[in-house]
Amino acid sequence: MNPRSRWYLEALSHAVLLLAVAFALYPVLWVVSLALSPSGTPSPHALPLPDAVSLDNARAVVGSTDQAGHWLFARQLLNSVVVSVATAVTSVVIATPAAFALARFRFVGERAGMRVLLATQMFPGVATAVPLYVILDTLRLLDTRAGLVLVYSTTALPFAVFQLRGAFEAIPRDLEEAAMVDGATRWQAFVKVVLPAARPAIAVTCLFAFMSAWNEFILAATFLSHEEAFTLPVALQRFVGEYNAAWGKFAAGAVIVSVPVMAIFYAVQRHLVGGLTAGSVKG
Amino acid sequence: MASLALRGIRKTLGKNPILRGVDLAIDDGELAVLVGPSGCGKSTLLRTVAGLELPDEGTLHMGDRDVTFAAPRDRDIAMVFQSYALYPHLTVRDNIAFGLRLRNTPEAEIRRRVDEVAGILSIEKLLDRYPRDMSGGQRQRVAMGRAVARRPSVFLFDEPLSNLDAALRAQVRVEIKRLHQSLGATMLYVTHDQVEAMTLADRLVVLNGGKVEQQGAPLDVYHRPATRFVAGFLGSPAMNFLTATVRGERIEAVGLRVPRDARTKGLAEGASVVVGVRPHDVTPSREGATLDLRVEVVEAMGFEAYAHGKVGDVTFIARLEGAQSLPKPGDTLPLAVPPEALHLFDADTGAALRGGA
Amino acid sequence: MRALTALLALAGVLAPVTAMGQSLVLWHAYRDDERAALEQVVDAYRRAHPGATVEMLAVPFDAYASKLESAIPHGHGPDVFIDAHERVASFQSRRLIAPIATGDLGPFTAQYDGASLRAFTLDGALYALPMSIKCAALYVNPALTHGVVPATLEAIEALRGELPSDAYPLVYEAQNAYFHAPFAHAYGSGLLDDRGRYAFVGDGAERSVMHVRRLLRARVIPEEASGSLVSQLFLSGHAATAISGPWLAAELGDRVRYVVAPLPVITAAGGRPMEPYATVEGAMLSAYAHDTAAARELASFLTSTESARTRARVGHQVVSTEAAWSDPALASDPLLSTFRAAARTARPMPTHPRMRATWEPARQSLVKSLRGDRPVRDALAEGARRFADVTRPLPPRRDGTLALLALGVVALGLAFAGVREAREPDFRRDLKRSMPAYAWVTHAAIILALLVVAPLVIGAATSLYATQEGRAYYVGLANYVDILTARGGPLFATGSFYRVLAVTVLWTAVNLALHVGIGLALALVLSRPLLKMRALYRVLLILPWAVPSYVTALAWRGMFHRQFGAVNALITWAGGEAVSWFARFSTAFAANVATNAWLGFPFMMVVSIGALAGIPKDLYEAASVDGATAWQQFTKITVPMLRPSLGPSIAMGAVWTFNQFNVVFLVSGGEPDGETDILVSEAYRWAFTRQAQYGYAAAYAVLIFAILALATRRRNPEAA
Repeated sequence: MNPRSRWYLEALSHAVLLLAVAFALYPVLWVVSLALSPSGTPSPHALPLPDAVSLDNARAVVGSTDQAGHWLFARQLLNSVVVSVATAVTSVVIATPAAFALARFRFVGERAGMRVLLATQMFPGVATAVPLYVILDTLRLLDTRAGLVLVYSTTALPFAVFQLRGAFEAIPRDLEEAAMVDGATRWQAFVKVVLPAARPAIAVTCLFAFMSAWNEFILAATFLSHEEAFTLPVALQRFVGEYNAAWGKFAAGAVIVSVPVMAIFYAVQRHLVGGLTAGSVKG
Repeated sequence: MASLALRGIRKTLGKNPILRGVDLAIDDGELAVLVGPSGCGKSTLLRTVAGLELPDEGTLHMGDRDVTFAAPRDRDIAMVFQSYALYPHLTVRDNIAFGLRLRNTPEAEIRRRVDEVAGILSIEKLLDRYPRDMSGGQRQRVAMGRAVARRPSVFLFDEPLSNLDAALRAQVRVEIKRLHQSLGATMLYVTHDQVEAMTLADRLVVLNGGKVEQQGAPLDVYHRPATRFVAGFLGSPAMNFLTATVRGERIEAVGLRVPRDARTKGLAEGASVVVGVRPHDVTPSREGATLDLRVEVVEAMGFEAYAHGKVGDVTFIARLEGAQSLPKPGDTLPLAVPPEALHLFDADTGAALRGGA
Repeated sequence: MRALTALLALAGVLAPVTAMGQSLVLWHAYRDDERAALEQVVDAYRRAHPGATVEMLAVPFDAYASKLESAIPHGHGPDVFIDAHERVASFQSRRLIAPIATGDLGPFTAQYDGASLRAFTLDGALYALPMSIKCAALYVNPALTHGVVPATLEAIEALRGELPSDAYPLVYEAQNAYFHAPFAHAYGSGLLDDRGRYAFVGDGAERSVMHVRRLLRARVIPEEASGSLVSQLFLSGHAATAISGPWLAAELGDRVRYVVAPLPVITAAGGRPMEPYATVEGAMLSAYAHDTAAARELASFLTSTESARTRARVGHQVVSTEAAWSDPALASDPLLSTFRAAARTARPMPTHPRMRATWEPARQSLVKSLRGDRPVRDALAEGARRFADVTRPLPPRRDGTLALLALGVVALGLAFAGVREAREPDFRRDLKRSMPAYAWVTHAAIILALLVVAPLVIGAATSLYATQEGRAYYVGLANYVDILTARGGPLFATGSFYRVLAVTVLWTAVNLALHVGIGLALALVLSRPLLKMRALYRVLLILPWAVPSYVTALAWRGMFHRQFGAVNALITWAGGEAVSWFARFSTAFAANVATNAWLGFPFMMVVSIGALAGIPKDLYEAASVDGATAWQQFTKITVPMLRPSLGPSIAMGAVWTFNQFNVVFLVSGGEPDGETDILVSEAYRWAFTRQAQYGYAAAYAVLIFAILALATRRRNPEAA
């Protein structure tokens, strides 16, 4: 290849990437500028730059209180954090041994199990909302964080199992066998060798479970009826209801809700390529 | 230290029989090498000894303990894997200490043993590194160190050198031999490389098709192969085989006429015999029993040379002295074969013909 | 030990948020001033009843009705709630509310105004204590009308000639059937007749719509005005008049000078007045209230003279308690008295349970005819058809014995096969070998079975039932028959199963193509050796993945907004014409696709990067030595090598996209007229916005599942 065509390709690559980056960033900047604009009403500008910078919207969102004067935003933030972290932990803790068994053992019911897992991904959640409502009601868990965690972590479970099964399959059997020869039980080999080796994939799986809980609002809106039990998405969605469009507040809330996920996402993102491919190659 | 005794070990994976009744006795302190082509069941046999696979039938004793169904951790063994299987999240030091920690060895003792092993294998400088930061040869040493530190009764090696380059392989081979001599431990070593097998083994065990084909001292096995398979498997280049027929007092193959001896006494007129000739046992000469090799390719290596070609329509390799003038492709090379260097096998069973002896 | 402490701590955080005591729970959908007023009243109640606890919950208006319907029967609803009178009949038929009084209603007639009381009287029983009455009125900005309050619609139209081009003579939500109703009434039409039949068809309706269309063409009213645009335009002095309810007053405060008047008459309609719908809000008692006496006491307190005055003063409500108006300050309040006068001439909103089903079809008819892409007559006829569709007669009850019998036979057969299998020696040996594995999977299997599979099965079974008056009954396969025959209508009509399926398939195909196309293209560029700033690009390009998807969807909806959306701003900046994105199928679909493409390409990009890294470099070297061009290398090496590793991800992506509810529901919301709805959002509508037809929605869900299961059958994980 001659240098000239190489220069030309390099420029083309950067052009394509810059275009894609613009596409990726534009809506984000638009939301940020909306969040910072003092009027709270969007102004029709092509360039997503606010007329003036003000933190009024953010203050209004963060400072929201209920009638008793409790700091509602803090409560809802806490709800979201607790629910999402608990969902991530619960679903991964439950999924890990099951995924390991599916990756390592041959057993009666394995194929049926995998089929059921796959089937759960195809059945739309709309039809399960009502039965879940009844189940949570029976367990007296409506309007509680525990109820949400229960529902979220079980919904996140099938995908977590798929992910982790792929990851475990990518880990050489030799490692656990070496541990067992070294004197470990199967469980010790799993905990001391397989789990540490699967750390990136586990982190990615945790991230997905966390995000699914952090972002969910339909079930949350169905199961929660008290404002102080709301998670942030439910609170946020109310800013842009049909009869009430406070775009400025929505945008400010959106930025506040997105920043933690993005932070965690970027902390884990270098594992994404490996973590996902391991799952998909064997998937 | 302990001896190993395997009796009637059978193992089927799915519908494929992998081990078909293996009997094997390895003495205390002996280094036994399991060798055979891929798929012969040697790795499965090793894993059965390790306890990573359980046999369908048969028993396994270590010393006088029946460990057939014991968990790997209860067998007092250590294993070096082909992939080394170093724990990627642990430093070399922790890798070596891993098994000791599981057995609740006191920390001071662990430190002492790790240092000792590091000294033996000269890996002191690697102790704080992670496996990903080391070369293949270094990893291999650490894997051996991990096994040595445990001071097990039996060492198992699963093709530990196959991921190393040739020069390193030769060097480590010697080291394993030295290690065996200094530790005096029982070792079971699996390889498909016959050089490793010949050089390392106290006892050579040739496996084929899930059965022990022959076992014994390496040179014994080499010189007196019990079957055509063993004869063909050991030795490089491999033994040449010609099909011969019993005609009167002679055995005749393409261009080869040798008198019958004690080994072929019992054979009927017109019976088929397989004649094996090692490439090293022929000399270019018209004297005595001769073969005509139509040379196709000549590989010259300086100190020796190999002439590849055909005898009749059978491929045949002859080793020549490097110094002599070499034939050219297209030449016909007469080769003398001393009758006592011929190996004779039953054409049907492949068993070596040994006569009355 | 440490683990135990951690577990206890976890249990602590997860404990119920609210300790449910024997307190009264009050639900409402008020905001701003009305909410503040209600809070003051409740505080007064608390002072008057020491020891009593009242818990107030503000539920967003959009979700109010469905929330009530799902919560009350499960005993999680309020004891007292405030709602509009037109829902009373529906609540009563579902037995969600308890009557306040039966028999002699005499004592109440003295206390409340007659119209309000009548609105809550059903079969001789009173079902709510009336609190306030609401209807639309005309807001006038005297600065733009020379101080005149226009008496006719034509007088307002005449202002067009005098106002600057960026100001409008009239602003109101023209696409909203509630605000169109006064026009329809003036022209002798309506939304629902006395017998619960859809009435927004025929000559009068047509003429009313034609009139509004003329207003639109003459720029008397703005296009596609939303509630917030109405207040924004009026507040900023860009509207001479506005039609809205009392809530606008609360929003305006004293930021602009205005007067309120009853709606004008329409000369073109023979001088008949524009009668708005009047809605009476009242305090209702839940049929599941814990303490009925206390609940009745609270409801009564909310409507006491003193409370009513507070609500009128603080919340600007036109209260129904007659005695409250003896306060001279209230009686002389121009705003309140105008709305009170307007309410007297307004039409009470019909209480028929089907009233709720008229809004959406009527709105769709308005949207289509005002946009002018459909003749008015056709648009109205389509609305009528939609109404008939949504209020479809429920399928008849069927005898479930046959189904039970069939189920029994199948179960018996399965049990028999199971027993036979269990007796096979091979199976027993396999089962014995499986035992260690079960120790690892049992817990997950049980949890999955109870919390994922069981709801799924129950949900699927619901599809054999229909719900009436809150009770489910067995209907056999009637729901499926209805869906698959498009409820007797044309098989490919808007909203029919086949039409929606076609849209869903198109949606899935286009999205997947874009995801894989963009993702793979970027992955290829990013995988070029020697690329500078690779890490930076990658980090920036996965950004859309990190943003919560509902935020993305709502943000994109904002970006496609006709007036202030960034996309139209870009188009006008480039010299183009602003597009009304959700007005046509093509553009609305494109908006959905753009959103989902943004949302989904990073996943495919990351997966592709991983897959590309797995292709040995020497293959390319070998190919280029063999003389393959870059394109040949791509098609002959890259694509075949990617297929096994990308295949499962693409299959997974297809399933996700097929069921991508958030984007469709939040971006286009199915606009226009449900044309961009996909099967999942259609199912959602049947379950939650169309009279809670769970069985019907469940049948949709089962069909979705069947389609996906068939489509991915050859791609099950064992094949890989």
